[in-house]
Amino acid sequence: MNTSSPDSSTRNATELIERYLQAVRFWLPRTHRQDDLIAELGEDLRSQFEDKEEELGRALERPEMAAILRRCGSPMMVAGRLGPQRHLIGPALFPIYEFVLKMVLLWILVPVFIFIVGPANLVDGGGNWPMAILKTFGDLWSGLFIAAGIITLVFAIIERTSAHLGTEIKWDPLKLPPVRKQDRKPSRLKTVSEFGFGCFGLVWLLLLPHYPFLILGPAAAFLKAGPMLHNFYLPFVLLSTAGLLRSGITLARPQWTWFPPLSELVNSTLLLIVLHSMIQALTRSPSAYPFVVLQDAVRDSPKYFKLVAIVNVSILASVAFTWLGVCIAAIVQVWAFLRYLRKRMSAPPRIATLGLR
Amino acid sequence: MANGTDNSELLENLKLELRRGCLIVAVLAQLRAEQYGYTLRKALADDGLAIDEGTLYPLLRRLETQGLLVSQWREEDKRNKRFYRLSPAGEVILKQLLEEWESINASLNKILQEASL
Repeated sequence: MNTSSPDSSTRNATELIERYLQAVRFWLPRTHRQDDLIAELGEDLRSQFEDKEEELGRALERPEMAAILRRCGSPMMVAGRLGPQRHLIGPALFPIYEFVLKMVLLWILVPVFIFIVGPANLVDGGGNWPMAILKTFGDLWSGLFIAAGIITLVFAIIERTSAHLGTEIKWDPLKLPPVRKQDRKPSRLKTVSEFGFGCFGLVWLLLLPHYPFLILGPAAAFLKAGPMLHNFYLPFVLLSTAGLLRSGITLARPQWTWFPPLSELVNSTLLLIVLHSMIQALTRSPSAYPFVVLQDAVRDSPKYFKLVAIVNVSILASVAFTWLGVCIAAIVQVWAFLRYLRKRMSAPPRIATLGLR
Repeated sequence: MANGTDNSELLENLKLELRRGCLIVAVLAQLRAEQYGYTLRKALADDGLAIDEGTLYPLLRRLETQGLLVSQWREEDKRNKRFYRLSPAGEVILKQLLEEWESINASLNKILQEASL
């Protein structure tokens, strides 16, 4: 017995098709044709749903919709067929091959070489930057080549053997992940919070020279800012102001979806420059305690020597970890911004609208 | 058993090869009148040449890139659909392909008749 109303059936159909298309899109190569292919496949599926409804003379039930999608094939298989023709690795396996290749090369090998092999080469080369960069690139190139070769070989073997085994992927259209909203405007709550914290942070930063206990706590009685904090105070104030301005613009112009990813990237780059200059200045600094020093009143008191050393090392470690964190964030932001640009440029002039009759 | 599986796989591959060329001619012939993807797929299936979405749409794009088809996104029944039709170059090619098809068909019939004698 048909229990669903036409409206709920339409909503169900739209939702199921969108979930299916999202899954196909995930496996489809990100070319300028991706949106076009997805729009056309979506239109085909909607027409199939309509035809089935006409044939039955009633709205479709979810299992009937799922049966149509199941007949079309698993999203990965459909994406494989829709993508460019491949010979060594067939359409069924190609999306997984591409996924594994990207994961291993871009998200494992490249970071390992940047954050582990690169610094190791730098230490080995006695701080010779150009040689370390050249050696790391050389090693990275060979590593990428070998890893890509091994992955391709493994998948080619799987392709040959699975063709004989006749394996089929089990999947259920009703269990596909829900549709994620794309190209969302930045959350208003998030932007307001950022703006609020930005104001608070800037005021705190401006008060620091007058009230050192705001950063040193009770230790302000015997510690004070060292040369490094003095020298880099202004750049941090400027960065903080820029961050506040960024939140303000995001809040005032939420329709500028390009602004948050670009400004985050610019912000991270500037922070990296400041941190890098700080680390460089540290290597040249003659002072044993560059960040905080003892107050004049206790300067000769040996019981504070160990404490001031610990505080300086802690700040140094924080700077180093922040530098590493910002490096990772900047890479992610570059990736996010490139994806944003590619999506903007690849969008076809007209995408099929949702909704059945 | 293994031999049977190999033979059926071989047959499938040969059928696929045979169909591949025929599909191109069929698609070009159907698109003498403008159609969008789904109606084209349905028309082909009704005439006995069923083709899945994953095969048809890349084929249409390839034929369009080769200049044999032209396409246009247009609204119909409150939905945007991509309509395809044969381009002038496609019409010339289709004519030549059909002549080739007639010639192959005639040769094949002749060969089969000779073989059955």
